[in-house]
Amino acid sequence: MTWHRVARSEELVEGEWKIVLVAGKRIGVVRREGACYAVLDICPHAGAPVCRGRLTGRVTCDDRHRVGYDPHAHTLRCPWHRWEFDLASGHGVAAIRQKLKTYPVRVAGADIEVQV
Amino acid sequence: MLIDVDVHNSPPNLEQWLEFLDEPFRNEVAQYRGTRNASSGLRGAGGLRLDADAKSPESIREQLLDVYGHRYAILTGTYSHLASTNDPEYAAALCKADNDSTLKHWVLTDDRFVMGLRIPMQDPQLAVQEIERLGDHPRVVCVQFWGASNRIPFGQRYYWPIYEACARKGLPIHVHPSTVTAVLNHSTTPAGMATSYLEMHTCLPQYYMANLVSLVFEGVFELFPALRFALIEGGFGWLPHLLWRMDKEYKGLRQQAPRLKRLPSEYARDHVKLGTQPIEEPRKSVHLPQLIDMLGGDEMLMFATDFPHWDFDPPSILPKSLGEASIRRILHDNAAGFFRWPKGAFDPKPEPEAAAVS
Repeated sequence: MTWHRVARSEELVEGEWKIVLVAGKRIGVVRREGACYAVLDICPHAGAPVCRGRLTGRVTCDDRHRVGYDPHAHTLRCPWHRWEFDLASGHGVAAIRQKLKTYPVRVAGADIEVQV
Repeated sequence: MLIDVDVHNSPPNLEQWLEFLDEPFRNEVAQYRGTRNASSGLRGAGGLRLDADAKSPESIREQLLDVYGHRYAILTGTYSHLASTNDPEYAAALCKADNDSTLKHWVLTDDRFVMGLRIPMQDPQLAVQEIERLGDHPRVVCVQFWGASNRIPFGQRYYWPIYEACARKGLPIHVHPSTVTAVLNHSTTPAGMATSYLEMHTCLPQYYMANLVSLVFEGVFELFPALRFALIEGGFGWLPHLLWRMDKEYKGLRQQAPRLKRLPSEYARDHVKLGTQPIEEPRKSVHLPQLIDMLGGDEMLMFATDFPHWDFDPPSILPKSLGEASIRRILHDNAAGFFRWPKGAFDPKPEPEAAAVS
């Protein structure tokens, strides 16, 4: 596993994906509310270019069955079948087996680095 | 001098106008002594529906219980008069009378009879009143819904007071298509008004599909975890497809079913069972056990005859290839674990005393 520089920090605009090729893999990098995320740009369901999907918050339901919305639950919705993935962990929001591949991201000085 | 613009003459009998009716309709009307009526569930449409006699407890004992060795029979009665009225208070009165009469004249005449409680689905508060009135009776094992004449899908808030009462009393809901599928929701199939009873009856599972989707996606089984549904007389061949489709749709549209914590198919398997009748008869016999496997197993099924109706299934309709254990679950065990039975319902019955030898 190696850290790879993928962008200057100022290049990463809030909510806009930057697609990079690292070690032969097509990886999307994005900033959301100050946090940076990196995911493999292939949906684990049917292989869609998942980073073309929408970045959203998340509809929630608490233990008292009250429905709400958490804008800070950073979620990526696949453009093909609308499956939701947690940006940090890659886990599906619905009870699905498939998991989006994620990579560790760090800010190193003025650069954004991804570990692949 | 008077001109009256509205006078209703009334033929004294069918014969007066029957001679003018063309075949094949003349034969049908003569045989069934009446004409078709869309709002009566098209019962006579096609003129071929003939039911057996179930007009007394004796007739049911002689033709059914004693023939097939029933341990219990859940009496479900008829719904036409209940499902066809738009007056909630009238419906409530009919349900009360129906329930009290069924108890007195049927259920209490034979230990093998138990019953479903009729409720006026036209008004949830009145329905809850009837559940509170009679829902604790030990021979009431479920609450009855009619499943093909409702205007509001079963998952919606309208029904939640009923579900709360049923869940609290441990009463599952037994859904049966009413014969009157036109009156309250203006169509006999989800695609509109069918031409014939044949079409309507074939399409009955479509009502169950829509209502089951509603129940699951509205989160009813999260809101009322103790609630169970039996879907009767819709067969079961449609369910595997629906389970797959619900899961697939849900994975992409989860926000529209925010109460769910599990896959839709899991709720269906945990909270719903289906009556076997009319059992599917695929051309290749091997498809039937495959179908049951796709459902998630024979635990989903409970045997029903639908006696005294024309499309009755005897217990022998279950193919032996299913295996003895599976047949026993379908014929007895699954229902034994599903309904709210009276205490001691499954205790071993004492052997009859031997006659004294003098």
